[in-house]
Amino acid sequence: MTPDAATVEWVAVAPLAELRRRKRKQVEVAGRVIALFLVGDRVFALDDTCVHKGRSLSRGTVWKDKVVCPGHQWTFDPATGRADDQDACQPVHDVLVVDGIVHVHPRSDQAEERT
Amino acid sequence: MTPTPATVVAVGAGQASVSAVRMLRRRGFGGRLVVLGEERHIPYQRPPLSKEYLRGDADAEDVTILDPEWCRTNDVELLLGTRAERVSVDGAGHRVHLTGGADLVADAVLVATGVRARRLPGVDGDRVVHLRDLDDAARLRTLLPGAGRIAVIGAGLIGSEVAASARELGVEVTCLETAALPLLGQLGPEMARTYAELHRENGVDLRFGRQVAAVAATPSGVVVRTADGDAVEAGLLVVAVGAVPNDELARASGLQLDPVAGGVLVDPECRTAVAGVFAAGDIASRFDPVAGRHVRVEHSDNASRQGAVVARALLGLPQLAEEPAWFWSDQYELGLQFVGRPRPDSTVVVRGCVDDRDFTAFYLHDGRVHAAFAVDRGGDVAAARELISRGTPVTEAALADEDTDLLDLLDTVDA
Repeated sequence: MTPDAATVEWVAVAPLAELRRRKRKQVEVAGRVIALFLVGDRVFALDDTCVHKGRSLSRGTVWKDKVVCPGHQWTFDPATGRADDQDACQPVHDVLVVDGIVHVHPRSDQAEERT
Repeated sequence: MTPTPATVVAVGAGQASVSAVRMLRRRGFGGRLVVLGEERHIPYQRPPLSKEYLRGDADAEDVTILDPEWCRTNDVELLLGTRAERVSVDGAGHRVHLTGGADLVADAVLVATGVRARRLPGVDGDRVVHLRDLDDAARLRTLLPGAGRIAVIGAGLIGSEVAASARELGVEVTCLETAALPLLGQLGPEMARTYAELHRENGVDLRFGRQVAAVAATPSGVVVRTADGDAVEAGLLVVAVGAVPNDELARASGLQLDPVAGGVLVDPECRTAVAGVFAAGDIASRFDPVAGRHVRVEHSDNASRQGAVVARALLGLPQLAEEPAWFWSDQYELGLQFVGRPRPDSTVVVRGCVDDRDFTAFYLHDGRVHAAFAVDRGGDVAAARELISRGTPVTEAALADEDTDLLDLLDTVDA
């Protein structure tokens, strides 16, 4: 992890309109690659690299309110990052949409350990 | 409804048993749970053995699926190095007879004994490897880097994954296949050709229509001779010609076997004809209500799903909807996935670009998708699954059009 990630706060990453069509987008925040997903009306942010085998979640899909990894079809709760039927958990980040712009607050590693 | 059993014994420690046991505990099963593993290894996943593990990208501890700590926490008795010989009906319950004479009393038994690698008669020795379990994989991993060239008999999934892993390690590969193309039944001629090209462009010497006639040891390895007079010299031979069910326990227990596909006949809930005895995974020939016949599948996802089916049946929970078969094969950094059941009379519609190795091939019949082959397009698989299971009418144009969201093609969008 880059040292500045812990100090970075809300970062504007993309207009919400860019998520409308494909419902997903890869962005980079403080050296961290993050996948955005539009599920219903809410935007979620997860680490892009799947905890399972490292495939890119932003090349996956949203199905039945879950994020589906393209690598091996693991499904994740977009809010908690918890994988269905698995012990693993995908890191998630806080999201705020202000005036049609998606902002992400990248979570530091310390914060992940607390969850 | 029958009461929830007090003791469940799972014979076999692969994906099906592990999935059943995990689901039982997750759903609050409070009875005794015993898993019998014949191997001494902590239960592990087999799919990585021909891929990450073989390439050295993962070690044994990275591929475990049921760690002893979880078993302690969840009160699961994991008995490794333990072989079960037979299941007998004993009054209202069952008895699982172990090698050595001990036995276990159980209310329900899951037979998940899996399959083993098929062997070619007379083909054996210290330069011959059959890949099935972790010990086989460990041996192959040790021998592979120094082999120079390997010969692989069989271009099925295991054979081609071993070939791909060997190429990624810089080892030369000659692969001999009896059929005209690899995975022909699964992929159909067009995509089987693409699959063959993928291996050829990665340096695999693929030879089709070759019947192996003889294998002989040489001072530096083996020589494989084919019926048409071809000879391949290699430092190592990998035999990957399919698998045969481990049905000794089933036979000794009087369970009904599938005369065609082999394995134990079970109903949609994985029940054998003997009350309280289930079978799941590679060993089970399950009645598939969609296909209207018994089907035996040798893939990891099938084993996981059937394990979960058994757990639900034991707990009296409703079953989930049938899902089309799905499997993956990671080769040369590409994620290959197949969903659905192949049929020979289908039209192939490609979404994406075959030459870029970034596409999904949909197999259409009567205006409906019945199978799909995705190459680095795992994102299309969820939609393909739904299109297949719902039998949604689709047009070739819509499938091929990258601007059409596949999920929008479904009758109702639940997302």
